[in-house]
Amino acid sequence: MGNQSDADFEPRQYRVKHRTTYTYEDDVTGCYERGCLRPRETPSQRVLSNDIEVSPQPDLIADHVDHFGNHSHYVEVRTPHTELAVTKTSIVQVEWPRADMDALNATTVAQARAALAADADPVERSTYLLPSALVDLAPSVRAYADSILLPDKPLGDAIVDLTRTIYTDFTYSSGSTSVKTTLPELLENREGVCQDFAHLAAGCLRSVGLPGRYVSGYIETQPPPGKPKLEGSDATHAWTSVLVPGGGWIDFDPTNDHLADSRYVVTAWGRDFRDVSPLKGVIFTESKASKLKVAVDVIRLDTLAD
Amino acid sequence: MTAQVDDDSGGALTSYRAMLHGSDLQGVGADSAAGTNQGSGHVPQPAYDELLGPDGLREVNSAVGEAIDSLGRYGLLTRAARARRFVQSDGVTYGSTEDGVQGRNWQIDPIPVVIGAQEWADLEDSLSQRAHLLDLILSDLYGERMLLHRKVVPPEVVLGHGGFIRQVDRVRLPSPQQLFLTATDLARGANGEWQVIADRTQAPSGAGYAMANRRIITRTMPALHRGVDLARLRGFFHTMRGALQDVAPETSEAPRVVLLSPGAASETAFDQAFMATLLGFPLVEADDLTMRDGRVWVRTPGKLEPVDVILRRVDAEWSDPLELRNESQLGVPGLIDATRRGTVTVVNPIGSGVLENPGLQHFLGAVAQEVLGEDLTLTAPPSYWCGDDAQRSHVLANMSDLVIKPITRDANNASRFGWDLSKEEQDDLRRQIEATPWAWCAQEPIPSSSAPVITRDGLEPRRLVLRTFAVAQGGGYRFLPGGLGRVASEIGQIQVAGRTGSVAKDVWVQASDDIATEPWAGHPSERIATYAGAEPSGLAPRVAADLFWLGRYAERAEGTARLLKVADDLTDDYGHRPGSLGAAAMTAILEAVALVTAVRPGLVESTTEHYPTEPTTHLRTLVTDSRTPGTVGYAVSRMVQASQQVRDQLSLDTWPVLSRLTETLEAEHEEESQLQSLLNQLIESLLAFAGIMSQSMIRDRTWAYVDAGGRVERSQQMVALLKATLAQENSPVIDGQITEAVLVAGESVITHRRRTAAGRGPASPVQSALNLLLLDRDNPRSVAYQLDRLGEDLRLVGDEERAEIGGTLAERLRGVDLDELGGHDRSALLALLNDLDGDLRGYADAIGARHFMRKATQTTHLTEWTLSRETH
Repeated sequence: MGNQSDADFEPRQYRVKHRTTYTYEDDVTGCYERGCLRPRETPSQRVLSNDIEVSPQPDLIADHVDHFGNHSHYVEVRTPHTELAVTKTSIVQVEWPRADMDALNATTVAQARAALAADADPVERSTYLLPSALVDLAPSVRAYADSILLPDKPLGDAIVDLTRTIYTDFTYSSGSTSVKTTLPELLENREGVCQDFAHLAAGCLRSVGLPGRYVSGYIETQPPPGKPKLEGSDATHAWTSVLVPGGGWIDFDPTNDHLADSRYVVTAWGRDFRDVSPLKGVIFTESKASKLKVAVDVIRLDTLAD
Repeated sequence: MTAQVDDDSGGALTSYRAMLHGSDLQGVGADSAAGTNQGSGHVPQPAYDELLGPDGLREVNSAVGEAIDSLGRYGLLTRAARARRFVQSDGVTYGSTEDGVQGRNWQIDPIPVVIGAQEWADLEDSLSQRAHLLDLILSDLYGERMLLHRKVVPPEVVLGHGGFIRQVDRVRLPSPQQLFLTATDLARGANGEWQVIADRTQAPSGAGYAMANRRIITRTMPALHRGVDLARLRGFFHTMRGALQDVAPETSEAPRVVLLSPGAASETAFDQAFMATLLGFPLVEADDLTMRDGRVWVRTPGKLEPVDVILRRVDAEWSDPLELRNESQLGVPGLIDATRRGTVTVVNPIGSGVLENPGLQHFLGAVAQEVLGEDLTLTAPPSYWCGDDAQRSHVLANMSDLVIKPITRDANNASRFGWDLSKEEQDDLRRQIEATPWAWCAQEPIPSSSAPVITRDGLEPRRLVLRTFAVAQGGGYRFLPGGLGRVASEIGQIQVAGRTGSVAKDVWVQASDDIATEPWAGHPSERIATYAGAEPSGLAPRVAADLFWLGRYAERAEGTARLLKVADDLTDDYGHRPGSLGAAAMTAILEAVALVTAVRPGLVESTTEHYPTEPTTHLRTLVTDSRTPGTVGYAVSRMVQASQQVRDQLSLDTWPVLSRLTETLEAEHEEESQLQSLLNQLIESLLAFAGIMSQSMIRDRTWAYVDAGGRVERSQQMVALLKATLAQENSPVIDGQITEAVLVAGESVITHRRRTAAGRGPASPVQSALNLLLLDRDNPRSVAYQLDRLGEDLRLVGDEERAEIGGTLAERLRGVDLDELGGHDRSALLALLNDLDGDLRGYADAIGARHFMRKATQTTHLTEWTLSRETH
């Protein structure tokens, strides 16, 4: 697993700016959007401020806490437009603890599975154990999971192995997959992006009886050495979290081969991408085509809140 | 318990009894249809017959038994035929065909199923308990989920069910009960006790059909119906109307309720539209609604009207494309969020389909104990959930004796009858169950009762399923007395369902004192008074367009039929006298027919040979062909289609007329009768239709759109006819005959003769005709008259602007100088008619653009995968 220094687990503040722009060839006369426009509070994350800007001026923005505990927003825009821009700017304070791998290694995969069946909250456990739209527990997924998550393997090692094996087995290749790619296809082609790897990791966990959820958010990136960081050069990110005995969740990132640390900003979680799509919409237009542009900046701030 | 019947007199009952005792219900005819028992003998036999008990006729059936006896086999068959005719003339449809025409496969048997007052009261109590239980479960599943947290129900049963919709978590109706409507499919067990087959809670259909059945049986068996004191059905719809208003958001003072339908192509479109009529609320489709400022509105020209309550007949998955199926065009984006914010109430609430889960069945007893502290009084056959190891072992070991069901039912995953499966199919199913055991359950089959059905061979026993209906009101559930009865369409058939074919039964509940004394079933909504005073609703563009086209096609059918009648007359007289002047006139009129209908001889789809086609053959085709635009048959079929789209807007008298039109056209294919008499019959029916429109309809928006359609069509047809006849350079020797023909087609020949005889009006016949058919503002056939009426129609729908366009056109007509037009040179007339034709088309387009605009195309976008990877 990739090296993580102690500094990576120190508290820090980020300003995360996420701008989604759709452009159309013809007027859109009605636009209805659903998105996760405010990061959720977690034990490792506080939201200090959150600002949502929609252009043109929306007729309505409403928010609620959804089934999974995420902030979910409904946006209605009826001013005719050929460009819709939704910008979310959040200031968050993040401090992830380092997971205690020794403690996790005290139980095996099989023991963890049994302990969770007996003691975990039944609704939470089942929610993240059942297959979901994008996490198909197909035979090839089960076989892949069985080859990594052996019943007798200590739980901490199993999580590390799962993270590393996916990282090693798959090539990161943007554009190689889409929201429609299934896990068996991914296993066949061996290339994908963070969303695919997060789904696969969740599928492997669920296959062996460990609840796994999909986490969407951001990660702070560094520009290539000697180059300045370009505006809009960051992106959304996705990783996986596993429920362990005692009720805790351990977040790990198969795309980058390490556990989540203070560089990770959480937006929302659910069973898979479908539950936490950053923004989706229904529009009324005669426009034949649309263009999507997403710009994300994750900027580390110097200040820290108490 | 039983009444004595003289077995020797009737015969029908005797042979029915012999059939019950002597035959194996599974065996007879079992191999003749799909979905029937293959005879392995695992399904229990019906041990209970609705009509006959062990000692003879059941007491509740004494009147029915007498009726059967006195009618005898022939009389019964006559009644069955009568019921079939009523189904057709009432326009009761079920299922849909590919071209959007509603299916005509609703079948009903005249012998009612009778349930005694006490038996029904007991059943209603049990059903009520079940409804309350389901309501509490629904509340819990979208609330605290204590049943799952405590494992009273294993969480996978619910969380793995397709009907559990997470997007509506914690959304509540503004009423104590969350389950607004519930329907229950029941069949009798071996001892005659009612048992639950399944709960229908998504968007229950069938109450409208039950009412339609009652209307038909009342007329099919009038004497029997009069002789039995029954609980009436109408009170239920009255109660439901009040309940719908009561469930409106608290902020709305005069609640507006609509019934949201997936469209006229839906299988149960009739049920939906009839329900809307019975409730007195408009039927709408997704295109009629729009989301604005987080509220739902009906789109009407120039104005939006808020919607407070939606009676949902669109399945939850399709009801909000923003949250659920993105490709759905049947729902309203943002609907779920609007329900969450409480600006609109949707019933049944989105998510109620979770209760249709057959996997819940096994746990209901325990749940009843947990939440009600009671045992369920309504039993269900033993059922098993495969997520439990012991139960799964039982299911896998006894597959041949069980109905095996996926917990989520969909088009690709239906229930299987274990006894129907081959060894290979059983093994395959076993593997599926073992892969995802939580997704499967099984139920022991119910023997069910038999009920007699009239067939050519006498009465035949068929398995009976009863669907009951309840609506939540005032903290309790109110029931439709009886419900929708259905029997298998084949004698050995085990499954009784719409898709596999079934025959409807009217279900009679004997009146008890308390049912009989309250036909309106009390509890009117407190809000009804304010609602009644509310402005009449405007019509959505889709509805307006269908009404308009109904008017247009009715007029087109009539106008075309009149013209063809004239052409046929001439062909009759001169077809065999080529070279005569009459024949020349005939040719000119046939040419005009081709121009007006735009159907050239030989170009008709169904005609294989090319031009020339025998005139009479061609004229016949122009009447009966229903697939070629321009024919009478086509106009009638579009007229029927348009009326089915707006069924709830039309008088019930409309359907027998439409049914007669269709029958007349279809009957013609069988026998070669005179074209004249066929045309006369058609015109008669079309006049009856016009009569209903003008005599039975309130002069409101609905009527105005139908009338406007007729006006637009008549004016355009008249201009087309004049262009094709009087505006042509005809030889003066046949001009008189052509003019006469045009006047006949234009229903104005009598006036013409009277005026000519009295020396009034223009002297030349052509000028007289033009005056009558174009300019005369008192002639209901003239173009000027149409423009005047059209203006009034448009004012009625609040469109002063378009009304004025018509006024300008009419003004221009008034300035026309007939002296210049009716002379030998007709080029000025042709130019005038061409201009008028263009103006009328432009006018119709302007009306369409204002009143019939559909919403813009709906598309969805998802943010695609975006990417991020730490730079190493």
